[in-house]
Amino acid sequence: MHLKKNTPRSLALFCKVVDNYGDIGICWRFARQLQQEHGIAVSLWVDDLISFQRICPQVAIDLEQQVVAGVLVRHWRDQDGRFTVVEVPDIVIEFFACDIPPGLINAMAERTPRPVWLNLEGLTAEEWVEGCHTLSSPHPRLPLTKYFFFPGFTAKTGGLLMESCLQQERQQFQSDPVAMHAFLAQFGLTAAQMDSFKIALFCYPQAPVSALFEAWKTGKRPITCLVPQGVAVEAVQAFLGGEAKVGASATHGALSVHVLPFIPQTDYDKLLWACDLNFVRGEDSFVRAQWAAKPFIWHIYPQDENLHHKKLLAFLDRYALDAEHLHRLSCAWNALAVESLAAPEWTELWQKFLQDMPKMQAMAQDWQQQLASNGDMTSNLLHFVDTLNLGGAQK
Amino acid sequence: MKPAKEIRVGNIIMVDSKPMIVLRSDVNGSSRTGFTYKWKMKSLLTNSPQENVFRGDDKFDVVVLDKKPVTYSYFADPLYVFMDADYEQFEIEEENLGDALHYLKDGMECEAIFYDGKAISVELPTTIVRQIIYSEPAVKGNTSGNVLKDAKIENAVEAHCHNVQVPLFVSQDDMIEIDTRTNEYKRVIRN
Repeated sequence: MHLKKNTPRSLALFCKVVDNYGDIGICWRFARQLQQEHGIAVSLWVDDLISFQRICPQVAIDLEQQVVAGVLVRHWRDQDGRFTVVEVPDIVIEFFACDIPPGLINAMAERTPRPVWLNLEGLTAEEWVEGCHTLSSPHPRLPLTKYFFFPGFTAKTGGLLMESCLQQERQQFQSDPVAMHAFLAQFGLTAAQMDSFKIALFCYPQAPVSALFEAWKTGKRPITCLVPQGVAVEAVQAFLGGEAKVGASATHGALSVHVLPFIPQTDYDKLLWACDLNFVRGEDSFVRAQWAAKPFIWHIYPQDENLHHKKLLAFLDRYALDAEHLHRLSCAWNALAVESLAAPEWTELWQKFLQDMPKMQAMAQDWQQQLASNGDMTSNLLHFVDTLNLGGAQK
Repeated sequence: MKPAKEIRVGNIIMVDSKPMIVLRSDVNGSSRTGFTYKWKMKSLLTNSPQENVFRGDDKFDVVVLDKKPVTYSYFADPLYVFMDADYEQFEIEEENLGDALHYLKDGMECEAIFYDGKAISVELPTTIVRQIIYSEPAVKGNTSGNVLKDAKIENAVEAHCHNVQVPLFVSQDDMIEIDTRTNEYKRVIRN
């Protein structure tokens, strides 16, 4: 536990939800870890309690403030509001460069000592991040300094979010066939489906799901695809021949598709651990897939001017440099360098990818260990805050 | 008040009530909220340099200093000499020119910036045209629209010769238009 004499004891985290569950998903994990593992009193300000409730059912959507799992959750309605100096915590974090209320900034400038102010940025594997990580950003007018903190994949960045017990829990789950069977059985999987090649599917609406379903259907290997309700709705409905409601299921050729309920964050890891291949999206599930040490395909959040393609390639250059078919399938899945592929091409792409599975499994495990050696983001961030406090940054 | 995304190398801005000159600006894509601007700046009061990072919509007071159109004349190591229409010469230290050094060319028109009566930097036109003096031929098979290659562009002082990323179809000896705010290739100019 991170508790030294001068360690900050209070923190406010501001989250604006743009990407349905990714933003609040990351903030919620981060807030809980700060509170549970480091003993910090966390206020999580979030503007969208409805999205929050889907990943954390205990959240009430009509309360201004509530305590959930030891974290004070506050509904962030607007930029108005007065903040007194005593309300300013030791650390203020704006997530993904969201604008925090001007009234709070003014109060921060008046507080002695000043709070540590951080902009926690989005995850990217691009090299430039190393040169900007922990750099200061002096306020143009007020005597305040903000610092940019970048999560990342190297020791020169802030690392990735990882709870201290995560790997132990994963290993325990994966070495317990009864627990894994019970977990999958709740979704209605048969014994044969549990023994088949299991795929968890989470993606944005533009993913070419139907094309991949066709490739999976015509293959020799039985595949069970588990897809949360609300994901890839059109393709799933077309496959099912009916509504994609929770519990719906169908088998065509070698492929069975099951619609799952939207899984709370605490159970999502188990799904990733139980499957042989995971399709993930955005940032939160993308990080969890890496800690799962299983092969995965990333559907990246689309950005203007195809900036996301640059980020995808930067990641693939680090992660999949020697895995040609993983690289090709990832690019095709994200409509990069290929406008559209005909069905036979998807089938060929998939078959080659599948042949590489043993190699990709080993690669995923190596990668997970490499990431773990960078330390976890929350501890790294608090260590950085310590260095600022020791250096007299909070005058 | 100007947002960071509109601040250019050579601008003087107020940061924490201190006048700072922007010597270098690296623009990088980041989260959905826009670009990250990493600036190398120097205090006009203490001459001390610093590196900071900003969001594109962070707003700054731009200090309006005296400016005068000048042309680049020659390099008198370690000073760069510019001349105005009345043939008056102004010497500017290398470290104050920042990224402008990459684009200096004999006879180039720009604006000298004055602080306390002394020329301290120059501001370049937003777009300039430069010839590519070296670039590798495109590699066959690299057909994606996103693929770029290095191209060395002409300038006045070889030590500051600079590479710009250009599309594969751009060749040695081509003239290209460059955005000096972002150091990015804009288009090729062919007759």
